Amino acid sequence: MPQALKNYEKAFNALGDPTRRAIFEKLEKGPLSVVHIAEGLSVSRPAVSQHLKVLREAKLISMKQEGTRSIYRIEPEGVRAMRDFLDRFWDEALHNFKKLAESAEKQRHR
Amino acid sequence: MHAIQKELLVEASQETAFNVFTGKMGLWWPKTHHIGTSPMVDAIVEPKPDGRWYSTHEDGSEMIIGKVLTWDPYGKLVLAWQVNGQFTYDPALITEVELNFIPESPTTTRIKFEHRDMDKLMGGEKVIEDMERGWWYILNLYKEVTNAT
Repeated sequence: MPQALKNYEKAFNALGDPTRRAIFEKLEKGPLSVVHIAEGLSVSRPAVSQHLKVLREAKLISMKQEGTRSIYRIEPEGVRAMRDFLDRFWDEALHNFKKLAESAEKQRHR
Repeated sequence: MHAIQKELLVEASQETAFNVFTGKMGLWWPKTHHIGTSPMVDAIVEPKPDGRWYSTHEDGSEMIIGKVLTWDPYGKLVLAWQVNGQFTYDPALITEVELNFIPESPTTTRIKFEHRDMDKLMGGEKVIEDMERGWWYILNLYKEVTNAT
């Protein structure tokens, strides 16, 4: 399966849970700290943290440390797509580089 | 968060690893990826601080990719990647590509790679706003399904 599709599916599955959808909708209005995300939700704080983890792994949201607080925000899809693209690009580039450097090293010792 | 990180072990000395990365870029660069209008021939990093970073093409043209921010052979290299999400060079954009070449033995080097500030690549809030509509689409699908049941 192409990477882009796999990522899309991951995002889709992550949003399959109503609490995670509620969290995601809250974040659509702007970045929030965990305390504010948990407000009004009928689940425990650890559960909220777990949901945030799933959303982060699906790259739907991102987290930034601001002082002592963790601030969560929606990850724009364009940023995500660009990151995925460059991630694959660098994987291929660094793989090629490794092979080339290793053969250069061998030639040096010949 | 907005960073790509990679780590790899290369069976080569620190010096060889650094020299191959910077001096033979055209040989390892995936040539399917470039921003020129004619096929790519080579990728060049000028070996000095503030050196140019560019690709050359079959029709003789050059396309700027970015520039050298830190030139510290053979341990560290920081490049500015200045190609944005629309695949054009943007002199105002700086996203950093940092490589640390850490010698583990005379013939083994650990490479720590990071390309950070990905969020800047999409150029401005307006573009990011447009891109967020992709998520809207998924979310609205769910809403439709939920409302229907």
